[in-house]
Amino acid sequence: MPGSTIINHRQHVGLQKLSALAGISHSSLGPNKKYKFIQDDASGDSTLVCSCFRIFESLELTCAVGQLVHETIQAHQKVYHTGSGCMLFLAGAWSHAALECLQRGISVAQIILAMSEGMDICLDVCKKSSVSTEGLGVEQPESCTKTSARLGLQMSKKPIGDASQTSCHLQETKTNGHKTLNGSVQRKIKLSRHSYEAKSENVSTILQPHQPKHPDIAHIAEGLSHGCVDAMNLVVEASRIQTKNNQHDVSCSTFDVNKVTSCVLLGLSEEHSCVTPGCIVTLSAEQASVAHHLKEQHLKVALINGDLSDSYRHLGFNRPTGVQRVTAPSDLSSSSKEEEWIEKVVTLLLKLEVNLILISGLASEKLILRCCRYGILVVEKVMASVLKAFATATGAVPVTYATQLSKHCVGIEVTVAIWGDLSSHERRPSTTVNISTGGNSDLVTVILTSCVHGKLQALEDQFWACAYRLHHALRDKAILPGAGLTEMLCIHHLQEQAERTVRHYRERNGDSAQQTKAGTTANPCSGVVLHLMADGLIDYISTVLVNTGGISKVGARTAVSQQLRDYKEGVGFAAKFSQLFLEGEQDGSAASISMKSSEAPAVKIYDNLSVKQEAWRKALDVVFLVLQADAEIITGIDQKTDGAQGNLMLL
Amino acid sequence: MMSRLAKKSPSLCTDQPLDNTDICNKLYLLRHLLTSCFGPRGRLKQVHNNIGGRVVTTSTSSVLLSAVSSSQPFINLIKISILNHVSRFSDCGLFAAILCLSIIERAKQSGLRGSVVIKVNKYLLDLCTCYLQQEDCGVRVKLDFCSSQNLIKLARSSISSKPACVLTEQETLHISRLAVQAFLLTVPCNSPGTTVTLGKTVIVSVEGHSVLSSSVFPGLLVDMPDVFHLNNMEYLHSNPLRMVLFSASLAGDLSELGDGRIEMHPGVDTDSQILDQLLELGKQVVKDEVKLFVCQKVIHPVLQQYLRSRGIIVIERLGITLMEPLTQLTGAQPVATLHTTIPPQAYGKVRDLTIRQFGSKTMLHLQPPGESAICTMILSHRNETMLSELKVVCQKTEHVLRFTLREPSALLGGGCTETHLAAYVRHKSMKEATEALSSLGCSQTDYLLGIEGFCRSLESVATALEHDDGKSLLDLTHAHHWTLPADVMKEHMEHNLGPCGCGLVESIPDKKWTYLHTKYPQISPAPLARDTAVQPRVLDSFTAKVNALQVAVETANLALDVRYVIHDMN
Repeated sequence: MPGSTIINHRQHVGLQKLSALAGISHSSLGPNKKYKFIQDDASGDSTLVCSCFRIFESLELTCAVGQLVHETIQAHQKVYHTGSGCMLFLAGAWSHAALECLQRGISVAQIILAMSEGMDICLDVCKKSSVSTEGLGVEQPESCTKTSARLGLQMSKKPIGDASQTSCHLQETKTNGHKTLNGSVQRKIKLSRHSYEAKSENVSTILQPHQPKHPDIAHIAEGLSHGCVDAMNLVVEASRIQTKNNQHDVSCSTFDVNKVTSCVLLGLSEEHSCVTPGCIVTLSAEQASVAHHLKEQHLKVALINGDLSDSYRHLGFNRPTGVQRVTAPSDLSSSSKEEEWIEKVVTLLLKLEVNLILISGLASEKLILRCCRYGILVVEKVMASVLKAFATATGAVPVTYATQLSKHCVGIEVTVAIWGDLSSHERRPSTTVNISTGGNSDLVTVILTSCVHGKLQALEDQFWACAYRLHHALRDKAILPGAGLTEMLCIHHLQEQAERTVRHYRERNGDSAQQTKAGTTANPCSGVVLHLMADGLIDYISTVLVNTGGISKVGARTAVSQQLRDYKEGVGFAAKFSQLFLEGEQDGSAASISMKSSEAPAVKIYDNLSVKQEAWRKALDVVFLVLQADAEIITGIDQKTDGAQGNLMLL
Repeated sequence: MMSRLAKKSPSLCTDQPLDNTDICNKLYLLRHLLTSCFGPRGRLKQVHNNIGGRVVTTSTSSVLLSAVSSSQPFINLIKISILNHVSRFSDCGLFAAILCLSIIERAKQSGLRGSVVIKVNKYLLDLCTCYLQQEDCGVRVKLDFCSSQNLIKLARSSISSKPACVLTEQETLHISRLAVQAFLLTVPCNSPGTTVTLGKTVIVSVEGHSVLSSSVFPGLLVDMPDVFHLNNMEYLHSNPLRMVLFSASLAGDLSELGDGRIEMHPGVDTDSQILDQLLELGKQVVKDEVKLFVCQKVIHPVLQQYLRSRGIIVIERLGITLMEPLTQLTGAQPVATLHTTIPPQAYGKVRDLTIRQFGSKTMLHLQPPGESAICTMILSHRNETMLSELKVVCQKTEHVLRFTLREPSALLGGGCTETHLAAYVRHKSMKEATEALSSLGCSQTDYLLGIEGFCRSLESVATALEHDDGKSLLDLTHAHHWTLPADVMKEHMEHNLGPCGCGLVESIPDKKWTYLHTKYPQISPAPLARDTAVQPRVLDSFTAKVNALQVAVETANLALDVRYVIHDMN
């Protein structure tokens, strides 16, 4: 008889588990990613992973908290493709904070109330310190530098607001000084790192006529690379190609992440990674010879959505189970039935003069060979998005069965070019060809190469993370100052609010005659909760700093608290601080060593607005769900065998 | 077949199940489990199986109780009774369960004979239900349909009572408004006659997006997973379009044959024969100028291609749940076979087809040709756990709102109804003690003990709302429920008490309070002067709560009446 068991969590094991799980994320934060081996003791298999998302994918955790975290990471990854590490870290840090609160006797309801307030503060900081991507990074004459910096101040009041109204507000912002926190500090670092004066009143009144500017993709991408410079360069290149192909508006640079595909090649060193317009596929030797014949021709293409074989049936087609064929000895065997089908398909293809077939699934071996003989190139395992791109660009209509093909289903003007021949590099002969549609599609393929098989997955993940970071920045039309600056502002505001609450509470209690409505009193514990929440963010920044290299955990913490103190005294977050991130990064990556020369402009680091906000919210969601859960109910327990455990209660 | 040979084990018979320690412990455990989930600050439970299945985080009685199964038939009896209430009324499941288990526990503690407790309980239940139906009932609020405010409040109380949704104040309000909006859309505007057939709200969940992007649309939204074929949509506006709806599979397979063996000649190509049949169907549909072709199941790609090439929009795999709303919306009759011509009356009509995008979901929005009470609610949340709880809660809320049409009342929430009712029962039962004693035929001591058990059980439902060691209080004028935070002394109470649980009574200095579960002087709870300026903040469903009260008392009485439990061990 199956029963249910209840595990009662008096010790808040869930929060402890969450905190422990978050430990996984520590090394995947920051620009210098470290690889991890995950080994399966049972089979001896191992995988090399680099991101939080992949770690959780390989771990297959069965505990309730583990599953909840995995589910949340998956949901985040599916939409954003980046930021899971940040989410997991903060889930851990804030669950630690919640645990601490509980130990200090603060009730669950109060923790939730105060932490929600803290989240509102943080999201508000994000909103206010976000910088519009419009015209960002466009070099301006020095006289305008300060104006634009002040402009940032204005935006703090009206996030991503209408910049045309700025002129009338300029006087006001002058007096605002450092009371408003925003991205302008970051911008000053960029524009005039050495001439920056905090109390400068030398605001130029020359205002440029403000036109909507297109975002400078290269500049934004550089700031969003977060240590993956090579991957981001590929993204920028992809965007450049797409922009060039976009014939409607040449002046506007674009990036359409849905029209990008990736192709991984083993056996070439990583410097060979590159971007090319069109779609790159790997072919076998036989197919390669067909491709050689087809190059520099205008081809007709057929698109097949599914498998191309005699036995394939569309999804949802149920094969009858009880059917028995009554065979006479003279009947054809099943193999010749396939022959018959191949004959039919090939005849049709030849009649329609199709030279190229793109298939989302697989094709039958025999058919591929037959097609080769007739000079028809068959390409398997093509992504649905690529099929769609070819459909729109060539006018072809994707069909499920080859027999459905008719004249109007066939697309035209496709070209095949030999892109590279890897047969000399590797045992397996393979040729890569580029299939493109004469310039009227934005389809771009990024070729990621490595000599180490285990690294390919990580490289691909990194590329997509970068691609989506740029994608989200362009979609948000705003970015956040990175390198921990946004977090610093959040910490500052959280701490300020915490102190305000404590002060308020003390004043109120001192004056006992004062009658206040209990419903409106500030939560007396919220000060503690907000402080602990800020500590979580401090932990985050210092961990990123440590990972960046060249600094110890203690050193990092000291640097952070020094900055916070300075900030309170009105100095502003110094450029020096964000340079900490950069120097570490340069130590770690040889590619950016040239940055170190003092003449080169400092690199700006940006973060994604929506990604950060969502990651934070999701982190807190997980903490809340775990914090509020006080018991686990396990169903389907065999009471005779499992009943002996101490912490289980059987129902 | 070893099992056939195994010796039959004898049945297990438990005499006086409530005297059995094991059963009592389990009842106690169940009560604690459910009490800890109660209310907006309730704790959550992570439900999963022992082989690593999906984890559900919830505090909803319907989800919890269906997951919990006991080896004790006695526990299952109570569980099934509560689940039955929830399946009919959606709301107040935890209320019923906690009350029921409290009554059983307190009856046990009182040492009274089962039959006496049952009689007294029945009598007191009648007192309660009569009072709740009375015009001057102090805890009932008349709902005014001229304004949506009270409806929104009712929805809000229902939605905010489930913390696993993890909603902010603003989000709760947004969802409450949507729930009311959806409810209003399902009420037909001008239906002739006295019987009103309510429409339906179809909930579509979209994971990974902000709650505030949730919305409600009149009409139906159906999934359009096939993004290849969305190019010829421009001309399909305004004019009502003819549509056809199939419930039969059009996949072109032999699925309708069922089991059994068929012998077939190898020369027979069944696939192409069925396909020919399907294309015949396609030709008829084209001839009849159908513009939208919908199938509950799969449509053969060749037929799809044929239809699309003639400018028809094709939707396959609609799913069984959308069939009924779609027939209501369009007036189409589902066609169950592909072997006859489609009768003209089977065709339905739609208006205004629009493509809408929600995150990664592309959906086709179908509007009714005329008046219709079908609407679609798109629910978004940041993760699956919270989204699934939100979906359950929204369904519950829809149900709660529908009951207001039958009985336009609500009860005060926040534990005030329970404390008020307990005070009323204490007062009323003493006033009518003589008549009651003679009709019940029990001693006065038994009567008093019975009343005390019943009232304390009611009050313990109010105390169950508090989970952070706060103290529950009762004011001695209106007998509403108040909560004092754990770290506040009674001396400083005046500053730290907000309004009462339902928000209707404000804290005033000369008010008298008493802790719940202590002896307090009998009071006749005064109904509040109906001051329109002060509105209750928390409202509960009248219909659901009254029924829950009955279910709880009757289930408890049944449980107290059980003499033997005979458990077949095979």
